[in-house]
Amino acid sequence: MGCCVVDKEAELKRLMLRGLDGDPVAWRALLSEMRGALTPFFKRRLIGCEADAEDLVQDCLIAIHAKRATYDRSLPFTAWAYAIARYKLIDHFRRQGRRHDVPLEEASVLLAEHTVEDGVVRRDLKKVLSILPLRQRRLIEDVRVGGFSLAEAAQRNGFTEGAAKVSVHRSMKTLVASVNPNED
Amino acid sequence: MKTDDLIDALAAGLEPAKPARPSPDLLIAAALTAGATVALLLGVRPDLAQALQGPIPWMKGLYTATLTGTGIWLATRLGRPGVDPRPAAFAMLAVVAAVVLWGVIEMSLTPPERRMADWLGGTWTVCGRNIVLVSAFAAPLVFLSARRLAPTRPTTAGLALGLATGGLAAAAYGLLHCGEATAAFVATWYTLGVAAAGLIGAAVGRFALRW
Repeated sequence: MGCCVVDKEAELKRLMLRGLDGDPVAWRALLSEMRGALTPFFKRRLIGCEADAEDLVQDCLIAIHAKRATYDRSLPFTAWAYAIARYKLIDHFRRQGRRHDVPLEEASVLLAEHTVEDGVVRRDLKKVLSILPLRQRRLIEDVRVGGFSLAEAAQRNGFTEGAAKVSVHRSMKTLVASVNPNED
Repeated sequence: MKTDDLIDALAAGLEPAKPARPSPDLLIAAALTAGATVALLLGVRPDLAQALQGPIPWMKGLYTATLTGTGIWLATRLGRPGVDPRPAAFAMLAVVAAVVLWGVIEMSLTPPERRMADWLGGTWTVCGRNIVLVSAFAAPLVFLSARRLAPTRPTTAGLALGLATGGLAAAAYGLLHCGEATAAFVATWYTLGVAAAGLIGAAVGRFALRW
């Protein structure tokens, strides 16, 4: 859960740009990464028919490949990939003749599901975090869950970057101690 | 097919990709088709050479060509997943608003007893229909020009392409056939014709633009 969504975005975008230039190794890596992100994304949205998720993942990988030229190099990769995944999901429901609302979420959910597997974990996480003072909690949520960089999160919560670094470090120590009472 | 094999197969045949945009060749072909359709089905106005010396056909052409330009821009933005289409939509609405405003000012300066005659002209009953008719011939090429794009909202993208097609048809119609000369006429009946083409495009796009 340490992996930060922003770093992930930067890595995926780098692979995407190299793929657009025709680098098959980068492209293979990107498609594999996307497979890892898309599988939980679709599974969670197809409760009851998880078997369709594999088909949708393949469909989506083909779309990412076939429509890669529609990616605007100046924009975040995640926003592009999320829009494709959401479209494929809506199209899947429509094909089945089901009217189904697919809410428009932050594109980063596509990557966040990598790290926070499901709602149960999310809920537990909330409980654990609740021992922290509010300001510290917001900071650590932004950095470790929300996918902001340290500098961005510091600014959002009114810390200097140095103070934020210290705060995150202390919070992590407190949290580790709270879930692991035997360890000092 | 296993997903691993799929990924291998896709990566193996990778070629460099240039940014996708609507094909200019097909759009030019669509414009020529619109011109040919006007000439063959509706006929060229007898005073064409003389009319093209004056500004009016060119003003009509400019307005409708701008609708086509903003329509293609809108379709392009809609055809790139994750891109915000609103700037293009606002641009198109601004163009329409400007022409409508022009028409309103023109009518307010027209003597009241002549207003209705100027606004309806001699062809208001057929203007919109003719634009839709010409659009029907140009539309397949316009829709085809967008096939490399990936619209995540096919209906809206169809609307944009339909409006762009309507703009092309109206430009050909205004330059080659139609003799109406008031801004109010163009602002109303041309705009309605283009809007009708847009609505038909939306209905078509819902199915034709899925990918």
